Amino acid sequence: MSRMLGVVRPLSWINERVLKAGRAVGIVAIAIMVAVTIVQVVFRYALNGALAWPDEAARFCMLWMTGLMAPTAFRRSGFVAIDVLPAMLPRMPALLLNLILLAVSLLVLVFALQIGWREVTGLGGRFASASLFLPVSWDMTEWYRVPRSWMMASIPVGLVLMISVCVELILRNLADLFGARGLPPIPMGDGMDTGIRGVD
Amino acid sequence: QDAEYTLRAVANSNENDEDYDGLQVFKSYVEAASNGAIEVEIYMGTQLCSNGAECLQGVADGSIDVYISTSDGAAGLFPYVQVLDLPYIMADDRVAERVLTGDFPRTLRDMALEDSGGMLRLMTIGNTGGWRNFANTERRIQTPADIEGLKMRTVVADLPQELVRALGASPTPIPWPELFTSLQTSVVEGTANGITDIMSMRFPEAGLQYLTLDNHAYMGAMWWMSNETFMSLPEDLRRVVVDGFAQLQQATFASPKRKSIAAYEEFVEGGGDLYVPSPEEKAAFAEAAAPVYDWFTTNVDGGEEILATFREAVQQAESELAEERSRDIQ
Amino acid sequence: MLIWFMPLFLVFLLVGLPVFFGMLAAPGIILWLNGQERDLTLLYRNLYNGMDSFPLMAIPFFMLAGEVMNRGGITTRLVEFAQALMGHFRGGLAHVNVLSSMLFAGLSGSAVADTSALGSMLIPAMEKQGYTRRFAAAITAASSVIGPIIPPSGIMIIYAYVMGESVAALFLAGLVPGVLVGLGLMLVIKLMADRYDFPVASARYSWPDRGRASLKAFFPLMTPVIILGGILGGVFTPTEAAAVSVVYALIISLFVLRTMTFSELPDVLGRAALTSAVVLLLVGAAMSFKTVVSLSQTPQMMADWILTLTADPLLLLLLINLLLFVVGMFLDAGPAIIILAPILGPVFIGMGVDSVHFAIIMSVNLTVGLATPPMGLVLFVASAVSGERVTTIARAILPFLAVEVAVIFLITYVPAISMTIPRLTGFAD
Ligand code: NA
Ligand code: NA
Repeated sequence: MSRMLGVVRPLSWINERVLKAGRAVGIVAIAIMVAVTIVQVVFRYALNGALAWPDEAARFCMLWMTGLMAPTAFRRSGFVAIDVLPAMLPRMPALLLNLILLAVSLLVLVFALQIGWREVTGLGGRFASASLFLPVSWDMTEWYRVPRSWMMASIPVGLVLMISVCVELILRNLADLFGARGLPPIPMGDGMDTGIRGVD
Repeated sequence: QDAEYTLRAVANSNENDEDYDGLQVFKSYVEAASNGAIEVEIYMGTQLCSNGAECLQGVADGSIDVYISTSDGAAGLFPYVQVLDLPYIMADDRVAERVLTGDFPRTLRDMALEDSGGMLRLMTIGNTGGWRNFANTERRIQTPADIEGLKMRTVVADLPQELVRALGASPTPIPWPELFTSLQTSVVEGTANGITDIMSMRFPEAGLQYLTLDNHAYMGAMWWMSNETFMSLPEDLRRVVVDGFAQLQQATFASPKRKSIAAYEEFVEGGGDLYVPSPEEKAAFAEAAAPVYDWFTTNVDGGEEILATFREAVQQAESELAEERSRDIQ
Repeated sequence: MLIWFMPLFLVFLLVGLPVFFGMLAAPGIILWLNGQERDLTLLYRNLYNGMDSFPLMAIPFFMLAGEVMNRGGITTRLVEFAQALMGHFRGGLAHVNVLSSMLFAGLSGSAVADTSALGSMLIPAMEKQGYTRRFAAAITAASSVIGPIIPPSGIMIIYAYVMGESVAALFLAGLVPGVLVGLGLMLVIKLMADRYDFPVASARYSWPDRGRASLKAFFPLMTPVIILGGILGGVFTPTEAAAVSVVYALIISLFVLRTMTFSELPDVLGRAALTSAVVLLLVGAAMSFKTVVSLSQTPQMMADWILTLTADPLLLLLLINLLLFVVGMFLDAGPAIIILAPILGPVFIGMGVDSVHFAIIMSVNLTVGLATPPMGLVLFVASAVSGERVTTIARAILPFLAVEVAVIFLITYVPAISMTIPRLTGFAD
């Protein structure tokens, strides 16, 4: 038991820090999305010269925002579910059911990660972006076309983080099941967890 | 009995498209000629995958066996296929069909096989949607000067944007599904498409009433297959598949011609202005578009060689046709 | 048999597996059992590609705009404006509550945002004037469903994306139904007000006072004008309109009203990003799910089966309303649309129902579901905001639900209510 707690504590600590960093990047990403979309409107409508890159740049940011934000939502039970049955069950059966549900989730995440990694490293990842370039020489004369894999990597990265969260949740659930005490709760209340549920 | 091999064919267009006609011919030929050993399943639209990058990856990993991409859809991996989008190189259908039934697609096939690590095999190049023409909501385009200042919709790819820019218009990337609304609300004022696409998307209702038949680019359709799947077939079935693609190619050559008749009629009936530029006017367009060739040869890896090969193939086709024609009219 | 993924999915859903995982696990397991392992890759690919879309970006943008408006105290000015117009009626604050929701709906696409923003302000105010707390909470919850019906609308963006419809068409089609729901609620309030002798909120405002209130609400009220005007006028696409509304809300909150500071910005961005990430993952999973729906021929089978029940389109629409109403009792509107639209949409559009009209039937029905017990999301939010128990609010809300159901029937059987504006503007045929 104490050995299990000895695993949960550091894992929880790591998840907390990594996800916080992820949220910071996600915040920058959504800000860039707004900015480049506005730049496009200005260039097309006011200056009559649309740009090629804002569309792809914004999508790039949106995918990374999703990959880096979703693990936090998962950790704070922000994924939409019908929780009538778990709420109706007594404590023990509810914990057992939750354990099964987490195991199914873990299975999905691990499978998705395997496929996702193949996709990133596969042929589809080698497609060069049509509009995103990085300068590769100091005088900005040579440009490197960003490969699609840089964008595709967002989801596998998110999956890795979600797997880590899922393992933590499973261990916490086991600890609950065996009546272990003294685990620090998952921190909330930094103003980032209300209304996670959806668009409604 | 059950088929030994099942080929899953995907086209992102719908069942009214010439891609579907081609696939029907392919399916019917291959299933009959293989005596039922090969079964062809057709998936139209975006049920399985929805763009070139995704679908070609599907072909590479075997979840899809046959896929048709436009040159724009494959350009992210094989930038030189955009050579087909270079404007005013092929004069008409006869030239294009002669070039595409000749050795030129084989050159592209070998290049693509090498660049994809032996995974993607270009089976044939047919047509999808006829020729690209300039259409707009504002005015008749007779000379390059008329197109100046128009906001033209393009895909997010360099070459079409360079072309629009060379003609003095302003390239505006808009996703295909948003194009109707964008034309309607003048977010863009024009687009370069074939007549069948224009009519099937009901663009004239969004105000697209001016169409200039400059035929600037042949809308080539590149048919891909997983090289591994293809090579795993016994040789006699490979022959059947190759013949099937030849049949498919012929079908996609013919289908847009037939379909465009009704489309043109419908366009004119709806009050559309159809303009055929004179040879002089067309030459003026070609001259204005010249910077695109420079852009292509300097910016696309292997661009210079492939353009030279392409021009050579076109020249040869033209001289053969001229020679045959002169015999035919005697 | 691929079709088994549907019952399996249902089981997953009912035992409480998050919808996102259920939409991937159910088809994934059946494909795997079927030996169609290469199609598992298709599931992932559609998940990814389902999220990789520019039009979808309207979701984070409208979420963000809503967050900014909430922080920026824009709501207060809307309520003051509503009060200046309707405060002097009997049951004035109740009317103000509904009208504020209608105005707020033009800025925000979410019923939850409406309930929490307006509820925290109006429920205490109504209590102070002598309304019961449960009544105040009930009318707040009931009127908040107008939020996603009048454009902009989060769920309509999702519907349009998943089903390949025009966002602009759906937005325009939602205008009249949204106003109808509002008028229906006001009618109920009027009847109740006369019977139970509701208080008036304030003396009749003088015209100069009304002018002042309008002036203060001017900038917020311009938001829907900018969004719809910009789209119709060709200045920007619906997606860009969403980004413009973010910037507009930021400008008025930060510089005009000065009700928000730059230091609040990361928090606001973070909340919008977090919520959007959940929704985007769901939309991606929906696209995977949809792939298997079409591979398994579910819509055709559904259509065949439904036709054995009845072929009368009027009766079918009644059935669909019943189904959607029941689904709405248990599921939030967004996930319900994500799950059901690809299955039901093709069936009814195939039977000749206009696709835009069907989208509105579905959206309005499921949005009203947000306020129905036992699992109505806005009931929970209203409970949290007011401190009243969910069951109490659920009982008090019944008369309002009745009128909303009546409006749903009206919308269902009179297509012109939804279709006239999109047709006149050329966005539907
Ligand atoms: Na709204
Ligand atoms: Na309200």
